[in-house]
Amino acid sequence: MSALKVHNLYRYFGNLQAVNGVSFEVPHGSVCGFVGANGAGKTTTMRILATLDYPTMGTAEVCGINVVNHPSEVRKLIGWMPDHFGNYEHMTVLEYLDFYARALGYKGKERRQRVSEVMEFTDLVPLAERFSNKLSKGMTQRLGLGRALLHDPQVLIMDEPAAGLDPKARVELKHLIRVLAKEGKTIFISSHILSELGEMCDSLLFINAGRIVHHGGAEDLKRGSDGLGGVLYDVQINGDPQAVSDWCVLQPHVEFLEGRKHGGRIRIETEDPAKAADVLARMIKDGLRVVEFHREQRNLEDAFIDILGRIERGESHPVMPPPMPQETNPSLS
Amino acid sequence: MSAVSQLRDDFPDRLSPMMVKELRQGLRAKAFVTVFLVLQALLGLILLAASAGASSDRAGTVVSQVIFVFFSLAVLVIQPLRGIGALSSEIKGNTIDLMVLTRLSSLRIVAGKWTALVGQSALLVATIIPYLILRYYFGGMNLFAELVLVLMVFLLSAALTAVTVGLSASSSILVRGLIPLAGTVALTFSIFGVGFSGGLKDVIRICSLESGDEATGVGVFVLLIAYLGWHALSLGASLIAPHAENHATLRRVISLVAIIVTGGILVLADARAEILITVLTILAAPAIALALSEPDHVIPTVCRPFVKRGFAGRLAGRFFYPGWPAGVAFTGLLALLCTLIGFLLPNAGDRYDADEISVALSFLGALLFPGLLTILVGKKVKERFACFVLLLIASGVFTLVLAMLASTLSDREFLWLFAWNPLVLSLMQEWPEFSDDLLLVAGVVVNGLYFLILLLKALQAFRTIRETERALLAE
Repeated sequence: MSALKVHNLYRYFGNLQAVNGVSFEVPHGSVCGFVGANGAGKTTTMRILATLDYPTMGTAEVCGINVVNHPSEVRKLIGWMPDHFGNYEHMTVLEYLDFYARALGYKGKERRQRVSEVMEFTDLVPLAERFSNKLSKGMTQRLGLGRALLHDPQVLIMDEPAAGLDPKARVELKHLIRVLAKEGKTIFISSHILSELGEMCDSLLFINAGRIVHHGGAEDLKRGSDGLGGVLYDVQINGDPQAVSDWCVLQPHVEFLEGRKHGGRIRIETEDPAKAADVLARMIKDGLRVVEFHREQRNLEDAFIDILGRIERGESHPVMPPPMPQETNPSLS
Repeated sequence: MSAVSQLRDDFPDRLSPMMVKELRQGLRAKAFVTVFLVLQALLGLILLAASAGASSDRAGTVVSQVIFVFFSLAVLVIQPLRGIGALSSEIKGNTIDLMVLTRLSSLRIVAGKWTALVGQSALLVATIIPYLILRYYFGGMNLFAELVLVLMVFLLSAALTAVTVGLSASSSILVRGLIPLAGTVALTFSIFGVGFSGGLKDVIRICSLESGDEATGVGVFVLLIAYLGWHALSLGASLIAPHAENHATLRRVISLVAIIVTGGILVLADARAEILITVLTILAAPAIALALSEPDHVIPTVCRPFVKRGFAGRLAGRFFYPGWPAGVAFTGLLALLCTLIGFLLPNAGDRYDADEISVALSFLGALLFPGLLTILVGKKVKERFACFVLLLIASGVFTLVLAMLASTLSDREFLWLFAWNPLVLSLMQEWPEFSDDLLLVAGVVVNGLYFLILLLKALQAFRTIRETERALLAE
């Protein structure tokens, strides 16, 4: 059973299609990064999973429990950390956590114990008596993480937790997330900082205009896999770089993507290294004086832009395009 | 365990977490500390001044007046005003979501906010008592009546705080800010008016509870403000609640029971017709206003308890599901019930004048009219309740403007052009050229028309509810 399972999820706000047929699964104990531009549907999807919103259509489950039908059960399993939350005036860090521990039903010694554990884990002990609205952004995020962990949830849903953090706070947060992942918690995290997600996440979900456009491992993307079974290579030749594009036009399963100073980027429609070796051999045989031929090592931002570009050009499609709903009945899931 | 040792157990576990949080914050807030200290200083000064002139016959009365005015300003004006930002600040700060994810229900969140503010008002009351006892020294004081008055002011403060806390969940700044501010201005003038005129004597006389009528009046006042205060808190809970939480059903059941019980008592007591109409209108108005302005999100979690009870449950759902479609049916049910209660009065046929019924119809229509407009523009508005309230106020202001215009003219027949606004019909009763019977017919036609359109819209909307029910039955 997956920790998170979303199937054909739609969420409309009037005429705005915020989430447009999203489907994905996140296995137990994994860290999944959720990537998309502002307004792509990340927060809406996360809020539905956190039982704070409801789908227009489709289902969302946390550990096999439907978020619409059994929100109370789901809330016991999840820890929710929104992108922004206000802190209270006249309330110390300790009182803040104490309030949420009380609200979660902890009493007496158990409550004090739980607050203490969370404060130690998030390194908030030195800040215990500081007013919560006087904290820096990084401290506030640690406080938010502490609050989300109070009831020891199985799944953590974190919406842009690193937004606005300075580099030191970011490193600290990343460290905490790594520790939680080692403890076996499932973490579903959105961020704009893709390089950091790449280091932390077992898998990445790219969402654009309410649809999932990629779901796969971060390493695949970095190595130049496009998530659709193809691999990207950088080719450099000694001679007219135009020759590379001319050569590609005549080749099956090889696509010229863009020209570069001494050659260009090409896409080979297979992940089989032997086929790539064949392509290289054919290039040489056909007279191209290849000086460099290597699988592309890209950063995730490039990969993301690449995927979006191909979808815009109609060269690729969202993952699992879903059927459009017949009607928008907010009550049916 | 260093953090644990720092954690003071200033509040026991059995108190509501929300109340503990609000008290921790509220007792440190400048607003409370300032009011508390200023009130003490003022009362101390006044008592000293009065002691200096203790020979004067009026010293005791002046002390009573000053205590009443400053205490009322503190608990009827300043304390309720502190509720204006109670929920809106949580909504703005995204913290409502965080609380909803705990075991706190929306009603507990709202009630916690309210009890903390009322608790602080109670502290202010507690500080007043010694001054009241000292005032006894000046003579001419009905100690019991003035203690009852303090209690009444405190209860009214609790109800007003409930209103500001409830309204503070509204997304409209006009609703959560301007209405309480307008109320504050009116209340401040009233406090000074009553406090420094002969009015205070009358109020103290009523609070002496010496006659049965006075005791009944005070009792009814307490029950009505409790009822209205509860509705305000329930409204706040509805506005912040996730869709899976249903507050509407309980609210409607309580309104229904209140109307049946109160109506029954008034019928058995053979009350005057106008009192019966007034009380039933006050009880029905908030229930109808909220029922017609609820969003229509009926999700399986909410329907399930009704569907489980078979046909009877589904039938009950048509009146008690949250959302305006069932709200329209519920409005019809309440109107029918109030009419039936009215007919149960002994010799009912001879006891009602056409103008009394017209006024009741105008009030009902005054709610149906904005209710209908809210439903017609519903998809375009962010919050139906705010839209409903603003339309209701606009309709009232429009009627006032017409009233001012009509009072300067000799020919007022043009008012018929505005009879689509039911409040205008009640305005027209002020002038003899409009026959009571004709106004009654107009009221029936306008109300009937609005209710018919509402019912048709509700029947359309019930289709979605039927689908939800079918899906649940198929489970």
